[in-house]
Amino acid sequence: MSLFRRFHHLSLGAAIAALLAVVLAAAASASTAVVLNSEDDTLSVVSSNGGYHEVSRAHIGRGPHHLIVSPDGHTLILAMSGSNELVMVDRISGSETRRIEASDPYQIGFSPDGKWFVAASIRLDRIDIYNASDFKLVYRLPAATMPSHIAFARDSSAVYVTLQGTGSLIAIDLSSGKALWTVTIGPTPAGIITRATGTLLAGIMGADYIAEIDPHDGHIIQKIHTGNGAHNFLMSPDGKTLYVTNRVAGTISVLDADTLTVTATLMAPGGPDDMALSPDGKELWVTDRWHASVGVIELASGNLIATIPVGRSPHGLFVY
Amino acid sequence: MFDAFQRLIEQIQGAIFETAIEPVLFHFGLMDWAEDVFDGVEFALYGAVAVVLTYILFRPLELVRPVERWDDKKAVRTDIIYTLAHKLGVVPAVLFVILTPIGAMIDGYLRFKGYIPPEIEQMVTPLFNHPFVTFLVYMVVLDFAEYWRHRLQHRLPWWWALHSLHHDQRQMTLWSDDRNHILDDVLAIVWSGTIAMLIDVPPDEFPLVVIGFRMIESLSHTNVKLSFGGLGSTVLVGPQYHRVHHSIEHAAAPFDRPRGCNFAVILPIWDVIFGTWRRDPAFPATGVAALTGRTVRCGYLEHQLEGFRRLGAALIHSIDRRRPGFVAALPGDQPV
Repeated sequence: MSLFRRFHHLSLGAAIAALLAVVLAAAASASTAVVLNSEDDTLSVVSSNGGYHEVSRAHIGRGPHHLIVSPDGHTLILAMSGSNELVMVDRISGSETRRIEASDPYQIGFSPDGKWFVAASIRLDRIDIYNASDFKLVYRLPAATMPSHIAFARDSSAVYVTLQGTGSLIAIDLSSGKALWTVTIGPTPAGIITRATGTLLAGIMGADYIAEIDPHDGHIIQKIHTGNGAHNFLMSPDGKTLYVTNRVAGTISVLDADTLTVTATLMAPGGPDDMALSPDGKELWVTDRWHASVGVIELASGNLIATIPVGRSPHGLFVY
Repeated sequence: MFDAFQRLIEQIQGAIFETAIEPVLFHFGLMDWAEDVFDGVEFALYGAVAVVLTYILFRPLELVRPVERWDDKKAVRTDIIYTLAHKLGVVPAVLFVILTPIGAMIDGYLRFKGYIPPEIEQMVTPLFNHPFVTFLVYMVVLDFAEYWRHRLQHRLPWWWALHSLHHDQRQMTLWSDDRNHILDDVLAIVWSGTIAMLIDVPPDEFPLVVIGFRMIESLSHTNVKLSFGGLGSTVLVGPQYHRVHHSIEHAAAPFDRPRGCNFAVILPIWDVIFGTWRRDPAFPATGVAALTGRTVRCGYLEHQLEGFRRLGAALIHSIDRRRPGFVAALPGDQPV
């Protein structure tokens, strides 16, 4: 909408490409990660090559929080809540390919069928639903208050967004853009994920559990204790293991994804937030919001083997 | 060195938040405020750094080359309370809790209608790859806005009623910069929020530079015989330059109270451009002539209540001219 948007240049492309070139060079023999430092407005590249360290840091725009991979796997999409845009970066070449205007995108996600792209604005109490093929805004819904994390129905019929401010979960029909229901699920709900069974799991950050939720009406099926400040999820690629960050406890709970039983608790001090697995599946990387660092946990031993200083308030994370 | 210092602040911030604050937020069901409070801890830490640096660097100046010496420093102690309440985040936290939802509602409404505030670097795209230069450009623009807010503080009678709390200090020291009525602080936030609707907010990547700017503002109030000279006083606001603005006698035409002189906060160029720059090598006494005694030498809360009283009197006077205003700028002036 802004008049000035049309003057956008792809001026950050070189910086990001240079950074990710390092990633690609190192990726063959080591784990390397892209980290979004939300308070610094920077992107860090960190690597385990030659010892865990931050390789470089570059300014990328305002308020970077989350990043996801496009459905075709070719593009990293960075959500810039402060500068109101989505930054598309070629995952292989590292070059910036496109910037798209999007009002205050905080948490973002594609529906499983690739048809819809949803962005939640936690600051402005709003959920935007875009056509994923051209990123045209289709529906814009007020959502009080603090819409944060996003999950989709497995059949792409609905999107579920946690509302941190009101302790509730909203379900939205994607074809009509209408709210289906809003249900209280617990204090300050944050991360949400859809299980293979179709039920939902939400991290209840104001408590010490995750809640399994029926996607049809939002009622809570069961609560599973993990740790104080249950926040976000990561499912292993084989779908067998579920990781939950407990922000207040400073731990990560490891769960059997089928039975939802906690099998281990890993130490992750510093307000653990987003997680990613190394390509070989041996390491769990996590952003430590309060410590301005990225932690690396060796899964075989459960030990925190590295803490890598990055920018302020690291949030989104992608590991090559 | 700066990076190491910033890293140290980050570590202290994380440790304080994680061990002392987050558990309290969790206990009282306030985790939806966690990230805001985390930022607040950073604000308070950098504020503490600013206070310490200001004291270490500028207090010796006041001891060695003071403009004035006083026996009774009660009014100065009140300014210390003002400074700590602001720099350590107490007043900003209260205002944040009250005003943030209102700002988000207005911003949210405009966004809902499709308006997105453009950033300066989107208007001037070469700035994209130069975040520090972008930051400085923001600082210049905001300093320009502050100049005009300051002009209005003196020009509008009801605003002057509030701003007179800042000016009634006759013992101006390095602690005086934050001596403001809380409603004046609210207006400052509304002002900057309005600017943010036009050019967005500046990036917050350079907190140490922000400290530097805040220290310049403290220096300009310092009780020291220090002048940047004629040329320097067109580049940066200094103690002597700003003291003339606070002068109890500066109301002589054409620099009387409504018009005034030397309004700039950091860059005097705005005074030069808009004809309010005044070169006067003297170190005059400060204060507002008609304001004296207990109303200016009281504690923090009493001073705040006095601000409400002045505002009320000014508003009543604006409705009924027969009623007295709160004060005249000089004996013989008309009440405002």
